[in-house]
Amino acid sequence: MTDSELKSILENGIDDSTVVVRDMTGTMDHFEVEVVSPLFAGKSLIEQHKMVHAAVGHHLTTTIHALKITTRTP
Amino acid sequence: MWTSEEVKNVIESNTLVIFGKGTKFEPMCGFTARAIEIYNSLGKPYEVVNIFADESIRGALTSYTNWPTTPQCFVAGEMIGGSDIVAEMLNSGDLQKKVDAAFEGAESN
Repeated sequence: MTDSELKSILENGIDDSTVVVRDMTGTMDHFEVEVVSPLFAGKSLIEQHKMVHAAVGHHLTTTIHALKITTRTP
Repeated sequence: MWTSEEVKNVIESNTLVIFGKGTKFEPMCGFTARAIEIYNSLGKPYEVVNIFADESIRGALTSYTNWPTTPQCFVAGEMIGGSDIVAEMLNSGDLQKKVDAAFEGAESN
């Protein structure tokens, strides 16, 4: 998967989100993402990361081998 | 063969536990290594379960926690997150607070 594919998966999966994706290794399977969305407000870090996991879906256990996640509100 | 019940027992009988890839002394993934390094810095005893030790561990863990990735870090029976969350909690001071409270509770029981 490319970084722009992952960016659009996340931005489609989490409403009003802005996502920055970095391919950590250049191998299209280890990514670092920063997800900014107002929907994270009032949620625990666990809940925020679960929203990111849900948006990435099955890719997280197939094509993506590592995902470093940072979440925050705008 | 690991079951979710067994995962639960390990998590509940150790105040600090990490389920990750590799062992405490030989982590096999950068994220697991980072989680271990953080738990090591807390100055309290902790256990590491290597999910590669048995092929049934990962499935049993994931069905118990409903969390798809490793490492998974626990304090006093509660899943607090993967290495990114644990690192954030370390920096904010929340991790030390949570761990100190967990050990105070354990010692007074």
